[in-house]
Amino acid sequence: MDRVFSDKKAIFIFMLPGILFFLAIIAAPVIMSAYYSTQNWDGIGKSAFTGLENFKKLFVHNVDGFPLSVRNSFIFLAVSVFIQLPISLFFALLLARGVKWEGFFRGAYFVPVIISTVVIGQLWMKIYHPEYGLLNVVLNNIGLGGLTQKWLGDSKTALFASFVPILWQYVGYHMLLMYAAIKSVSPDIYEAAKIDGSGELSTAFRITLPLITPMLKVSVTFSAVGSLKVFDLIYVLTNGGPAGTTEVPSTLMVKTIFMSNQYGYGSAMAVFIIAECLLFTALINKLFGKVQVN
Amino acid sequence: MSKIAKRIPGLILAAAMLFSITACGGSTAGSDNSTVSDSKAGSSEASVQKEPVTLSLWHIWAADSESSKAPFEKVLADFQTANPDIKLKVDATENETYKTKIRAAVAANEAPDIFFYWSGGYMKSFVDAGKLLPLNDYLDDETRSRQLTGTLSNMTFDGKIYGLAHSMSVGTFFINKELFAQNNVKIPETYEDLTAAVKAFRAKGITPMAVGAKDTWCIDMYLDILETRQAGYDACYKALTKTGSFEDPDIIEGARKLQELIDMGAFTDGAQGVTRDESEVPFYEGKIPMYFNGSWTIGNIMRPESKIKDKIQIIKFPKLSDKSDINDFTGGVSEIFVVNANTKFKDESVKAIKYISENFAKEVYLAGAGLPTWKVSVDESKIDPLTKELVKLTQDSKTYTLWWNTLLEGDDSQLYMNKSAELFAKRITPEQFVKDLQTMNTKK
Repeated sequence: MDRVFSDKKAIFIFMLPGILFFLAIIAAPVIMSAYYSTQNWDGIGKSAFTGLENFKKLFVHNVDGFPLSVRNSFIFLAVSVFIQLPISLFFALLLARGVKWEGFFRGAYFVPVIISTVVIGQLWMKIYHPEYGLLNVVLNNIGLGGLTQKWLGDSKTALFASFVPILWQYVGYHMLLMYAAIKSVSPDIYEAAKIDGSGELSTAFRITLPLITPMLKVSVTFSAVGSLKVFDLIYVLTNGGPAGTTEVPSTLMVKTIFMSNQYGYGSAMAVFIIAECLLFTALINKLFGKVQVN
Repeated sequence: MSKIAKRIPGLILAAAMLFSITACGGSTAGSDNSTVSDSKAGSSEASVQKEPVTLSLWHIWAADSESSKAPFEKVLADFQTANPDIKLKVDATENETYKTKIRAAVAANEAPDIFFYWSGGYMKSFVDAGKLLPLNDYLDDETRSRQLTGTLSNMTFDGKIYGLAHSMSVGTFFINKELFAQNNVKIPETYEDLTAAVKAFRAKGITPMAVGAKDTWCIDMYLDILETRQAGYDACYKALTKTGSFEDPDIIEGARKLQELIDMGAFTDGAQGVTRDESEVPFYEGKIPMYFNGSWTIGNIMRPESKIKDKIQIIKFPKLSDKSDINDFTGGVSEIFVVNANTKFKDESVKAIKYISENFAKEVYLAGAGLPTWKVSVDESKIDPLTKELVKLTQDSKTYTLWWNTLLEGDDSQLYMNKSAELFAKRITPEQFVKDLQTMNTKK
């Protein structure tokens, strides 16, 4: 084994397919994207170099609502990290503590992750339907008719209404990650804590949480990056509507490229999304690095 | 970098971007592949016959809810019987998905030999890039004379004809006369009548007009006609063709009237969350008294199982100002078939679209899904009464303004749709609306 690892040639040969694959599938499109973002190109005809004009257009004298879409994705990021993850953590702690039917609940919370996004979208569209939707019907029947809304049709409620299904979908996913991490903590530690007289809460906060920090980092990263590039459920539920109020950068990018034929400008959006995802990943790593040292 | 080398990575990139964000949540509507082949054609003895040519054809009538689907399939079958030496490989994709799919295919030079498209500014990027075959050399005078005059203008650029139309559609104002009679409401002739009708129906808890605002083009149906009736053909046409300005008091007024109607509760509740199909359901159920949409709606109204086929009447949209004529219509020739410039079988392809356009014109007319752009001879008694009404109504037509979102080119069209959605949501004022639209005329 050691001989293989010290042989540079062998390493190179074994890595080659993977590297080539990575370059072709990930690096090349990103680089091409960056190249196109400097062009004024409709995807079919000739392109012309325009420098950073496309990036300027994203924020200066913008008429397509890109700044709003970025704002929406940041709101979503905050909601994901500060509401969704705590819920996941709560369920993970609860389940790992050992409740009746642990296996059943673990499976039940994970079900939304397995269901196709389009199915979830259709499901929630029916729940939100202003006339026969479950939500409004329930509200009417319990005498809270005043609270009924045109959930996805009203610019005031659409944004949060479309976040809820996404949060709901991934609560189970993060729960499972955290649950697995908690389960891998040695029971000896808990026993020791018990003997020392640590209560449920202080065990959770002082022992479990610090021990699963690496997994929390993974969850936060996934959740943050996932929020920044969220696409599928928004596309199914509102497709950015009503009137662009639920637009996120990815849906706007797809529209810009495929509906308005602005490949160059759309590529600038793509580059922006890649850049902010990388930035946030680095930021989260740094933040958790500090926490772990402490 | 050579042209092709430039395009391939572009597509890979686009695909990679799409894939990475959609992950596994595929949401493309079902597209069905079907090869229409004629079993009678290749009879065994005819070995001298030359190899049949296979042409690929893409179109948008995939769902049964499309009133053009059945007529089109009949035309294809007839074509196969009449032309055993040409085989058609047909692929149908739902409208919105199709727009993306065909553009990607054309950009990659993977487009089918023949395909459906939209005329006007919408097709201009294809024309500019030389992706479409000019048909001038293939259309003799005799063929041209069989088409109605002026029907080629929307696909003619620099004197070259790039497509053949089969039908034209007109923005049509449908009135459910039964609902009007039951509720003692006057069928609107003026804007005052219209607002009175809206208020009267609202007071009785009836949604006055249907609109599926989630599909923005349905808002545009109303907005196009309001602008045409308020600002008149000239002002609109000039603004749209960059020879005038959107910042015109009457165009502002047209936009304001849309918001006025919204404030009165004229439209479907929660319209912005409702698609066209969903919004039309109550209309077909006979629960909505007024609906403004393309004349293709007639095809669905007149279906055998329809509940409203005897209750619908067509009227001209009321006049809003003196600048407009009641005989200015919206719509026109927008649905066409074009030939890929890179096809291996130019003659066969042109022959096919000639046949398809002319015969489809007839079938569409018979099915009530549009007015023909060819001089067709059909048994007039088989034409449904509503289509006849439409023919009569448009007899004195003075002008047609093509749907704004088709007349405008790609990014301008998208801007118009985005802004009309924002206007509908009352997120922008009519003044802001025209100011934003004007950016398409002032940009370099």
